[in-house]
Amino acid sequence: MGLLPHLVNGFALGLLFALIALGFMLILGLMEQINLAHGSLFALGAYFAYAIATPRLPLPPDMLQVWAAVPLGWRFTAAMLLAPVLVAPFGVVLERLMRRTYGRDPLYGLLLTFGVAMVIEELIRIVWGTRDYTLPVPRGISGGFMMLDLIWSTYRFWAAGFAIIAMAIVWLVIERTRFGALVKAGAHDSEIVQALGHDLERLRVWVFVLGTMMAAVAGVILAPVWGIRPHMGVDAVIPAFVIIVLGGVGSFWGAVLGGILVGMVVGLSGAYASEWSMLSMYLLLILVVTFRSRGLFGKKSVLEA
Amino acid sequence: MTKSRITRRGALKTSLMTAALAGTASFFGPWQKNRVWAQGKKPIKLGLTCDASGQYGNSGQDDLRGMRLAIDEFNAKGGVLGRKVEWITADTETNPATGTRVAERFIAQEQCGFLIGALHSGVANAITQVANKYGTIYMNTNSSAPSEAGENCSRVKFVWDGNGTNFSKAAVANAVQKIGKKWLLLTNDYVWGHTTAAATKLEVEKAGGQIVDNLLVPQNTRDFTAYLLKVQQIKPDVIAMAIGGDDIKALRQQIAELKLEDKAAWINNQQDWPDIWGVPETLFGVFGTNWYHKLALPGVPEFVKRWQTTYPQSPIPVPGNVSYNGYMATRELLRVIEQTGSTNNIALIKALEGRKMGAVDRMQNYDAYIDPVTHQIQQTIYLAKRNPKPVDNTDLFEVLSWTTPEAALDTASFTTCKLKPFADVPTYEQ
Repeated sequence: MGLLPHLVNGFALGLLFALIALGFMLILGLMEQINLAHGSLFALGAYFAYAIATPRLPLPPDMLQVWAAVPLGWRFTAAMLLAPVLVAPFGVVLERLMRRTYGRDPLYGLLLTFGVAMVIEELIRIVWGTRDYTLPVPRGISGGFMMLDLIWSTYRFWAAGFAIIAMAIVWLVIERTRFGALVKAGAHDSEIVQALGHDLERLRVWVFVLGTMMAAVAGVILAPVWGIRPHMGVDAVIPAFVIIVLGGVGSFWGAVLGGILVGMVVGLSGAYASEWSMLSMYLLLILVVTFRSRGLFGKKSVLEA
Repeated sequence: MTKSRITRRGALKTSLMTAALAGTASFFGPWQKNRVWAQGKKPIKLGLTCDASGQYGNSGQDDLRGMRLAIDEFNAKGGVLGRKVEWITADTETNPATGTRVAERFIAQEQCGFLIGALHSGVANAITQVANKYGTIYMNTNSSAPSEAGENCSRVKFVWDGNGTNFSKAAVANAVQKIGKKWLLLTNDYVWGHTTAAATKLEVEKAGGQIVDNLLVPQNTRDFTAYLLKVQQIKPDVIAMAIGGDDIKALRQQIAELKLEDKAAWINNQQDWPDIWGVPETLFGVFGTNWYHKLALPGVPEFVKRWQTTYPQSPIPVPGNVSYNGYMATRELLRVIEQTGSTNNIALIKALEGRKMGAVDRMQNYDAYIDPVTHQIQQTIYLAKRNPKPVDNTDLFEVLSWTTPEAALDTASFTTCKLKPFADVPTYEQ
C-alpha cells in the first residue's frame, strides 16, 4: 500500500497541530504559565467565526439581510479576521485573573485556567446551545482534488498553508521585533526589564492577547474539518500540551517540529495501525522525554522548580 | 464439680469473636439481600444516567428528554401507585468510570430504586455492574452493543435499543447480493464497535461476502484523512461503519467534503437521530434505526406534538430514536410498577420478562416483546437513506424497509447470555 500519501497527510496534519499549539506555546514559553483555557478559547474562535460567516450576528434584521447577501468568501475572510479580535478580550480578562498566580506554585495558574475553561464552555452552551454547527467554506477552497490517484481535501491543504503563514508571522513577532525582544527578556529576567523602565504588566497582557488570538485563529481554521461543538476545546488542548512538552517548553521551533512529528505519527498509525492512532502521540512523547527530559529543544523552566 | 469463672480475658475473647461473627454475617448472611425503604406515599425515585458531555453528550440529553416526558405524563395522572415519580440525573461523561460512580451514588446515597439511561456500551456495562450488586433494575435505553444482551446481560438489566446484530441482519445479506462481496469495516474502537463489527462480519461471510480489512477508529478521532485515504486505496464495494456520536459527525462531514459517498456503498449500522441532526447536510448511505418521527403509523404525530410542546426550546426540534427509547423504557417501567402494584424488584423483573407490547402502543410496524432469555426488546428494525423529497427540514429519512423482530433476532445472544437465578438477586422495595 503506497506510503507516500500517508506521509503527505501526516505532514499536513502536523502543520495543523503546530498551529493549534502555537498560542499555547506563546503563553507557556514567554510567560511560563500553563493556560488550560487554550482549548476553550480555540472553541470560542470557532463559534464567533460561525456567527459571523453564517451569519447569525445579533444585528437588526435589515443589516443581517445585507450581510447575508455578501458572498461567502468575504464573510469567511471577515470571520477569520474578526473572530480572533472578538476572542482577544477574553485573553485580557484571563491575564488579569492570572496576575495573582505569577511567581507562585504553577498549580495555581493551572487550576485557575482549568476553571476558566469550564466557565467558557458553559457560556458557549448557554449562548449557542449544545448542538453542533458546521462552518461553511467558500467554494474556491472546498471540495476535493486528485493527487497520487487519490481524492484529497482542498481545504485541508489550504489550512496547512495558512498554518505556515501564521507560524511565520509569530516567528517574526518574537524574533524580529522590539516587542518580541522585550517579552523574551522579561521572561528571562523581569526585574532588569522593569528597571529599564518597561511596563512588564502591559507586555504580559499583549502576550496573552497574542496567545489567545492564535488559539482563536486555530479554532477558525480547524472548525470546517472538526465541526463545532461546545467541548471541541478538549480535542485541541491535549495535543497542544503534548506538542509543547515534546518540542520543549519555550521553543518556537520545538513547537513546530513537535506538531509535525505528532501529525506524522498520528497520520501513519491511522493508516497502518489505526487502533493506535490516538495513543501514538503519547507513545512518541514518552519516547522523546525518556531520552530528552526537557523535550527536543527545551531549556530549564521555572515550571521545574 | 467444675467451676466456671468469667475472666476479663475470656470476656474480651468472647466479645471479639461475637463482633467478628456478626460482621462476617452482615457481609455473607442471607439478610444481605434485602433493602427495604420506607413505604407509604414516599415518591418513587429514578436515577437517570445520561451523558451530558463527551462523545455522546448530545445524545444523552436527548435520551433524558424522552425519559422526562414519560415521567411528566405519569405525574400529570397523579403519579404511580398514588406516589409521585421523582428523578435525578448526573452527567456520566461518556466514561465508564464516571458511570460507575454515578450509579453507585444514585443507589447508595440518593436511594434511587431504578436506573435508566446510557448510550455508550462501556458506560452501560459499568452501570450494570453496580446495579447487579444492589439488584437495582436498570433500563439500558440506548446502548446497542450486542454484548449488552449477550455476555454482559443481567437479570436486572433490560436493553431497549436494537443492537448491532439486529441491524446487520436487516441490512447485510441484501447488500452483499445487490452491491458487492468486498466489504471494509470502519469500527469505533470500543465494545459497541467491536461486537457490531463481529456481527457484521458473521452476516457478510454467511451471505458469501468477504471482509478485506477492519479499520479501528479510536474514540474522539477528529481527523479521518488517513482512514479515507486507506478506503480509497483498498477500493471496497461496501464500507460498513459502526461509528457513533461526535466521531460519526466529523467523519460524515469529511466524507461529504470529498464527495466519497458516491465512490462506494456506505452502510452505517445505526444512525442515532442526534448525530444526524448535528450535521444533517452530510447524511448519506444506508443506515438502521428503530424509530422515526415521520413513520406513517397511529400515535406518531400525537407523540411528536406532545414532545415538542414539552420541549419548545430543544436544540433538536423533533424526537428521534434516542429520545423514543428513553421514553419507552421509562413508560414501560412505570406501567409495570402500576400494573404489579409493587416496587419489589423481583416482582417487577418477572413482570417485565416476556412482556408483550403492541405495535400501535409502541408506534412501530410490528409487535414487540421483552425477550425472557436475554432481556432485549425484540422489535421492528428499519433501514433508511436520505430522503430525496423531504416535506420539511426534519424529514431527513426515506424508510426503505422494516424487518420483523423474528427476522432480525440476535440468536447468538441466546447462548452467550446467562441470567443469574432469582435467588442470587438482592431484593428490595422502594
